[in-house]
Amino acid sequence: MVLPEYFIRVLRMNYDELINTATDVGYMLLANGAEIYRVEESMQRIFRAYAVETSEIFVIPTCIYVTISSEDGRPITKIKRLYTRNTNLDKVGQVNDLSRRICRENTDFKIIHHELQKIDQRPNYTFIQQILAFSLVAFSFTLFYGGNLSDAVCAIFCGAAVKLVIYYMERLHANSFFTNILASCAAAAIAMVAVHINVGLNADKIIIGALMNLVPGIAITSFMRDLIAGDLVAGLIRFTESLLVATAIAIGAGVALTVTRAIWGV
Amino acid sequence: MTMNYFLPCLYAFTACLAFSVVFNMRGKMLVFASLGGTLGWLVYLLCGSLQNDIMQFFLATVAISIYSEIMARVHKVPVTGYLLVALLPLVPGGGIYYAMEYCIIGNTDLFLETGLHTLGIAGALAMGILLVSSFVRLWHIVGSNESKT
Repeated sequence: MVLPEYFIRVLRMNYDELINTATDVGYMLLANGAEIYRVEESMQRIFRAYAVETSEIFVIPTCIYVTISSEDGRPITKIKRLYTRNTNLDKVGQVNDLSRRICRENTDFKIIHHELQKIDQRPNYTFIQQILAFSLVAFSFTLFYGGNLSDAVCAIFCGAAVKLVIYYMERLHANSFFTNILASCAAAAIAMVAVHINVGLNADKIIIGALMNLVPGIAITSFMRDLIAGDLVAGLIRFTESLLVATAIAIGAGVALTVTRAIWGV
Repeated sequence: MTMNYFLPCLYAFTACLAFSVVFNMRGKMLVFASLGGTLGWLVYLLCGSLQNDIMQFFLATVAISIYSEIMARVHKVPVTGYLLVALLPLVPGGGIYYAMEYCIIGNTDLFLETGLHTLGIAGALAMGILLVSSFVRLWHIVGSNESKT
């Protein structure tokens, strides 16, 4: 009589570990910008690799819900909430490799956790490199959208300003709505000043180039993709998100444009 | 004539390269993802004779998606990275800005027109991506069914 109970407990322990590990893998993927279907599929594959066939996984951009049934039919559920997401394609690639390895080798959970930690601590580009990247984005897109060379040089400063605002607002734990307002306001203000002192020529091209850094276009495209693919809830969340980003950018740039035009009467 | 094609593609390349750093990509993926963006814009420009920019955006996206699916398999990385970066030159950044500016000026007609056009472009991009990825999935399913029987 003692033995089966003991076995059930051992099995239950394993199920807990399994659901924790799978959720952690899913969390890492989602938090670093993987698509909804990739997160759901990776988790499903991990469960199958450990012979759990009945799993329900529901992922939206802000939350992961998982339920699996243990062998004796007991449902085990886990909910994991996401508060911040960013795009780190290096980590997505690494976690994707890891989840393939898990499915191939049925890796021990301790090793998986160790690997996840290692991936989480992988270095980002340095702050200076990131500022240079933001500047180069602004520079290239200004030229790309038809600005001339002096516009593009102004855009370098706008791009750097966007990164600086994002960086310092992140350290203050400000929410992304206000961060976007401030960033686009700073970029538009610098562009208007540059045009006013006759360094730049086309304020609109400079501003568009600098604001590409805040990627409202990506948000719009990805919500369309989720909706058409049938992830309706995720699509609606992304739609709201992209509306918020676009609104924040519009408010920020709008304030800067209106104020500078009122001052110089352009 | 070549300059009309070369310079925009060069700008698209550097923009994508910088963006791959922002998205924290590493190694050879930086260059290959940026080449995808260049390819997309080249296709867009070459389809200029269609006189229909929604269609141009759609074809360019299809080209990028195919390129990304191939590259993802060659380098064994998720297709997301290539797609996200390569799509950037096509993404309607300008449209959003001009819509906002018309909104501030109070020109509702132009605001709606630009806004809807922007949504149309976004829809064309999404359709292009989904068309290719659904096809690739179908291909896989058919392939694995055939190998079983």
